[in-house]
This record gives sequence, C-alpha cells and structure tokens, in this order.
Amino acid sequence: MKVLIADDHPVVRQGLRQMLAVESDLTVVGEARNGQEVVELSRRVPWEVAVLDYNMPGKNGLELIKELRQRYPGRAVLVLSMYPEDRYAVRALKAGAAGYLTKESAPEELVSAIRKVAGGGRYVTPTLGEKLALELEDNRGKPLHETLSDREYQVMWMIASGKTVRQIADELFLSPNTVSTHRTRILRKMNMKSNAELMHYAIAHHLVD
Amino acid sequence: MSDLAQVAGVERAAHVAPQGGEAEGGAPGLAKAKILLVDDEPKSLFALQQLLATLEQNLMIAQSGEEALRLALKNDFAVILLDVRMPGIDGFETARLIRARDRSKSTPIIFLTAAADEMTSMFRGYEVGAVDYLMKPVVPEVLKSKVAVFVELFRKSERLRESEDKLRRLAAHLISVREEERAHIAREIHDELGQVLTGLKMEVSWLAKRLKDKPLIEKTDSMCAMIDSTVQTVRKIATGLRPEMLDDMGLVAAVGWQAKEFQKRTGIRCRAKLPAETKFDIDVSTTMFRIFQEILTNVARHSRATRVDIELTLGAEQIGLEVSDNGVGIQDNELHARKSLGLLGMQERALLFGGDVRISGSPGHGTRVSVTIPLSRKPK
Repeated sequence: MKVLIADDHPVVRQGLRQMLAVESDLTVVGEARNGQEVVELSRRVPWEVAVLDYNMPGKNGLELIKELRQRYPGRAVLVLSMYPEDRYAVRALKAGAAGYLTKESAPEELVSAIRKVAGGGRYVTPTLGEKLALELEDNRGKPLHETLSDREYQVMWMIASGKTVRQIADELFLSPNTVSTHRTRILRKMNMKSNAELMHYAIAHHLVD
Repeated sequence: MSDLAQVAGVERAAHVAPQGGEAEGGAPGLAKAKILLVDDEPKSLFALQQLLATLEQNLMIAQSGEEALRLALKNDFAVILLDVRMPGIDGFETARLIRARDRSKSTPIIFLTAAADEMTSMFRGYEVGAVDYLMKPVVPEVLKSKVAVFVELFRKSERLRESEDKLRRLAAHLISVREEERAHIAREIHDELGQVLTGLKMEVSWLAKRLKDKPLIEKTDSMCAMIDSTVQTVRKIATGLRPEMLDDMGLVAAVGWQAKEFQKRTGIRCRAKLPAETKFDIDVSTTMFRIFQEILTNVARHSRATRVDIELTLGAEQIGLEVSDNGVGIQDNELHARKSLGLLGMQERALLFGGDVRISGSPGHGTRVSVTIPLSRKPK
C-alpha cells in the first residue's frame, strides 16, 4: 500500500516513517510538510492512503481534506491530529476523511487504521464509536439524566464527582437532609441503586471529566 | 459677519491687548481655553475684551444670539458671557438653545444685565441654566476672577478627560497584548512541545517493538503512558490560554464548546441556543468569547445557580449574546462596587469595539447579561 505522510514537524514524519517501515505491506511514497506540498505531490505520486496532520501551516485541515476527496475520490485520507477527537473527529469525517486518530494513539492502531481505510473502510477509535452510538441512542429517547430537574442534575453531578452528602450540602447551602432527599429521587428517576452506578453513568456519558 | 471673520477679529483683539502675545500666554503646553462673549453692542464687547485680555485666553465674540449658537455648535467654551437684552433671540432664549445641545449642555453661562431690579428675569436666567449673574456696568475685578474660576474648572475637566482617555487606551493596549501573548504561547506549547512528545512516543514505541525482556517492556509501556498524560496536560494548558477552536472553527463552535465544558466542570446545567456556524472578524470573536468566559466565571463563583441559558444571535450588523442564570441575582450595590473589576473588564472589552454590556439582576430571579457588539467597527 502506498502511503503519503504529511506533517510539518520533522520528528513526527521521522517517527511515522520508522513505524511504517516495519510493516512489509506499507510503503511511504512521499512526504509533505504542508497542504500545498500535499496537493503538488498528489499530482505526481499515486498514493492510496494519506496520513495528514490536521493543523499544518497554510491550508486549513478541513479544506485540504475536502480538496483531496474531490480530486481523488478513490483515495483515502486519514487524519492524525494533536486535537482531541471529541471536538474535531466528526467534522473531519464529515469533510470526507476516512478516519481520525489522535497522536496519542498506539502505533498498532495507526497501522491497522491505514489498512482498514485503504480497503475503502472507515476508521474511528472505540471511544468515538461509543460516543456516536450513545448520541444515536440519546436521539431516540431522552437520556436518563435529562429527566432530572436542574437542581437534581447538579446534585447528581456532585455525587458522580465523588462528593459526600455533607460536602454537597455545604457547597449548595442546603441541609444534608434535603441533599439526601434529592439523592433518593435521582436514583429512583435514573433507575439506579448506588452512587457507584451514578458515577459509572456520568463517566460513560461524559458528564464529568 | 461670518464666523471666520469673527474669530479673526478676536485674534486681532488679543494681540492688541496690553500684555498680549500668545507665546507667553498661560502655562506652557496648555492650550488656551475658549471664552465666548455675546453682546449686541460693539462697545460693550470691546470693553469686555479689554477687561479679560489679561487672562490670556482665547476670546471669541458674537453680536447676536444666532451667532453665539453657531459658535457654540463648533466650540467647547470654558464659559459664556451672555447679554440678556439683544434684538432677535434674546439672552434667555440663546441660553436655552445652547443648553439644549448635547455638546454644550453643561457649559457655564454668566448673564450680563443692565436691569438691576429685574428679579423675575433673574429667576428666568437660572431656570435656563445660568450659573451666575453680573450687573452692568461690571466691576472689572469681579468679572475677571469669576471668569478665571471657570477657566480653571474647564482646564481641570479637560485634564481629567485626557487622563481617562489615556487610561482607556492603555487598557485596550494591555488587553490586545495579553491576547496576542496568550495565542502565541498556546501555539508554541501546543505545536512545538506537542509534536516533540509525539515524536518521542513514536521512538519509544519503536524501541518497545524490539524488546523481548518483560521488565523492559513494562518500562516502555509506562513511558508511553507518561507521554500520553503529558500530551493531555499540554493540550489543557494550551486550550486554557486560548481555545484553538476559536481560530479553527469560529465563535459559534467555541461558545458551544465552552458551554459544554462549563457544565462538565461545574455541574450547572447549560443550555445554548446557537446560530448556524459562520466565521467573522477574529478580534470581535475573541472579544465576545472572553466576555462569555467572564460571565460564566461569575456564574460559577457568585450565582449559586443550577442552570444557565445562553443565546447567541448573529445579525447583519451585530452579534448579540444573552446569558441568564437562575441564581441569587446580582444586586445593584454589587454592580457598582469598586471591586467588580471583572465587570469593568467586560465593559471595557466591549467598548473597544463600540459594543455594550448590560447586567441586570433581581434577588431570587437570577442575573441576566446582554452583550452586543457591532460587526462593522474596528477598534478605536
């Protein structure tokens, strides 16, 4: 498989080259330092997968993806970015990227992503996949936490952040009794039995950090 | 006589004055204060000019109410000496009209009258804004010292205005310098440090692949984990300094993101009504975004709210932002407290772009902040 690497940082390009050199089925056929070079190289070199940095000097990442997709509909663009995927991945995919990886991804993940998109597939990380699935689910019915009142939501968030009833009461200027009542109601509304369950839910739904 | 000729006439009068001469006039570096003398009788005007010439200020004269009005339209006077009895528009009417204009609404007016016994006219005079009354024939020392007081007052307020202006410009400069610096540092940290870490991680992975020894592999694994968490930290610092979204995707996306972050960080529910994403002037976007952040900081710190509603609107000529919470509500005395520098900062930021921040609150009904910034204007 012919791979094009584009990143404005030599360290990253070198790392990528080393990483891909180990794989016998992958060949790096070109390296670019910016969007303009990607466009120029693409005219001469028939790559199959381009591994692009999202944020290179010159052309904006999304524009570059769109342009490549338009000119070479048969080739796959894989974005390898410093930016967290929850903010950028969906946009990149919408613009026509076949996959989105952050630079924290393990090398094996990148290699398998390249193989997958070269075959015409799409690649998203398990985390993003789960998030997209949750969003689909949420669109069908109201997610459980949306059934809570504003105050209950806040108390739920505090419980999920590991705060005790006493701490919550102090912070919200409420009596511990009132907080306990809120807690009981929250658990009933969300169909749960324990704080641990609440925490698990809040983390899964990205309600807390 | 035309305005120009009038002024020229005055200049002449100033030069023939006994101790005249512009070079030595007044304190060095200070522009002369303008004084307007209005009388229909050339003789009286001449007498007034002679009397006041020793003050070494810029004397301007008008022989009718109309002329006085015209001059007051274009000049800021330290004081106006106004004859009450004039043909055409009389002194009272002239004063009323001068006071009605925004530019001259607080210009001090001293009426000159020959009729000592006209008490009723005196009341009329104070009603239309006279600050003093002098009877003709005027006592030279009284006239001079009264006018001198107003000249001094004018000087002082002028200086106050100047220093206010300077402070405002300084604040504006500091805001923009800080913003530039933040953007610069954020970029450096994110790009340079981030990329080096990425490279480092790749090297470690490469090394790991060649290792057979289990304890060594465990080491490289933990190195990778450390690099990952450092990347996270770098990203957090960079975003905290300046969210890259603002530059990449624009204000609408950045506000939406910030609202989500806020909810995640505070547990206060945040509902945002946002327009379709559009890109516009980055400085206006930055200003609006920073004001928005400041509003949220205040909500988290003071409001005790459980909910925040945000609405961002994009008009053809302006952007509007409304943020309301259901907290305790800001009190009037808090709004005006000297310490509320955060609020002052928002005002100043908005003002730089000809915008406006309005804050209102009522106890128990939360606080509402409305921000509008015109899109057309560039900073002063």
